[in-house]
Amino acid sequence: MYEFLHYQVRDAMTADPITIDPDARLREVEELFEVHDFNGVPVVDSRRGLLGFLTKFDLLKAFCFDEQAMIPHYDEIMEQTAETVMTRDPVCVSPQLPLSRLLQKMVEMRVKSLPVVDDGRLVGIIAREDVLRFLRHATVAHEIPAREEPRS
Amino acid sequence: MTTLLYTHPVFLEHDTGFGHPECPARLTAILNALKTAPFADLEWRDAPPAAIEQLTRIHPLKYVERVLARIPKQGYYAIDGDTIVSPQSGEATLRAAGAVCAAVDAVLADEADNAFCAVRPPGHHAEPDQAMGFCVFGNVAIGAAHARAVHGLERVAAIDFDVHHGNGTQVVFERDPGYFYISTHQSPLYPGTGRRNERGVGNIVNIPLPAGSGSDELRQAWRQEIEPALRAFQPQLILISAGFDAHYLDPLAELNFSEDDYEWLTRQILAVAADCCAGRVVSALEGGYNLSALAASTAVHVKALMEARRAV
Repeated sequence: MYEFLHYQVRDAMTADPITIDPDARLREVEELFEVHDFNGVPVVDSRRGLLGFLTKFDLLKAFCFDEQAMIPHYDEIMEQTAETVMTRDPVCVSPQLPLSRLLQKMVEMRVKSLPVVDDGRLVGIIAREDVLRFLRHATVAHEIPAREEPRS
Repeated sequence: MTTLLYTHPVFLEHDTGFGHPECPARLTAILNALKTAPFADLEWRDAPPAAIEQLTRIHPLKYVERVLARIPKQGYYAIDGDTIVSPQSGEATLRAAGAVCAAVDAVLADEADNAFCAVRPPGHHAEPDQAMGFCVFGNVAIGAAHARAVHGLERVAAIDFDVHHGNGTQVVFERDPGYFYISTHQSPLYPGTGRRNERGVGNIVNIPLPAGSGSDELRQAWRQEIEPALRAFQPQLILISAGFDAHYLDPLAELNFSEDDYEWLTRQILAVAADCCAGRVVSALEGGYNLSALAASTAVHVKALMEARRAV
């Protein structure tokens, strides 16, 4: 586990992740989720500035019963743009953040993935799976087994 | 003296299209329940079509003509995204409104203690010049206007426990102190009206309930707000917009009423009616979209109506 403390977000993140434009239709976002195992996808402008983050929960939220219609209509909702349902100004992390701190933050916020932003530009995505992978790698073969007291 | 059941086979032919929650099977489920032995004493009557002058007490004639002209000869016509009409819908909408008027006539003529109108489409979202939310004509509001105009009643109350706010009934009632409208409904939810501060001329009582509210919130609302307001108004007739979509199994909303709650609430309303207006109650079906919950809830509601006379 000691080795884990040396890692930063940039070591574990997916660099150069797939992104979407703010005017992408929810239908395209849904197809993206269908093909890739994403929890959420960053919404960026033409200079890869982070505008928002759109998760599967945001997609579900678009289908909540509201005051507009007795029943939400699938086709109409899927024509909405990403920016109508994305989370604006999402929490993001720096590539230099220690993985140990990232882990803490994810647990506290109960989020599944976070965008990684450096100097105003999106540089990666870090997900629970990445942290779990590094936990596993960072401990295998390095741990000194705790001394077991012989039982009498 | 008995409880009357107004319905008509054409209500089963108001076709709203594949998969629509406001479907003929709703009424089939209700009528099957009401054909069982415990309901043998119900007196079934055919719902007559409403006369145009009954509709135009609340709807402009232009609206009535326009909406009836839009009924398609075949297929469907979508008045809005969810309000669908088909060839038999014209007759169904007329008989749905007519049922409430006929029930009002019968109850005020002392032909029965009370009545239940098993109708489709529902009515409480229909505004004077706008069909919406599955509703075309304001069945209950039309019945209320009929009671005022033809029977000379001065005070008519409507209690609406459908999970959605009855914007249409409220619009018809809100400027006329001879009407009283009380609604419990989930908020926020369609159609977005029914805030507490919508009080009409002091004759509207809106009780918005947050998602998750159930038996406790309903009973508290009854004791603290609904019953005192209703008794203070001293209605000469009580109409009920009986929607059963606040049931915990309903897929369109998130309130948690049970059959017990519907039975309890119906008995409370009947007790006030017994004190204020010789038990005169006319109830009309609104929403309710889980078929078994709808049938069971309607059954306890109607059973309570039938048992009211024995208590008097």
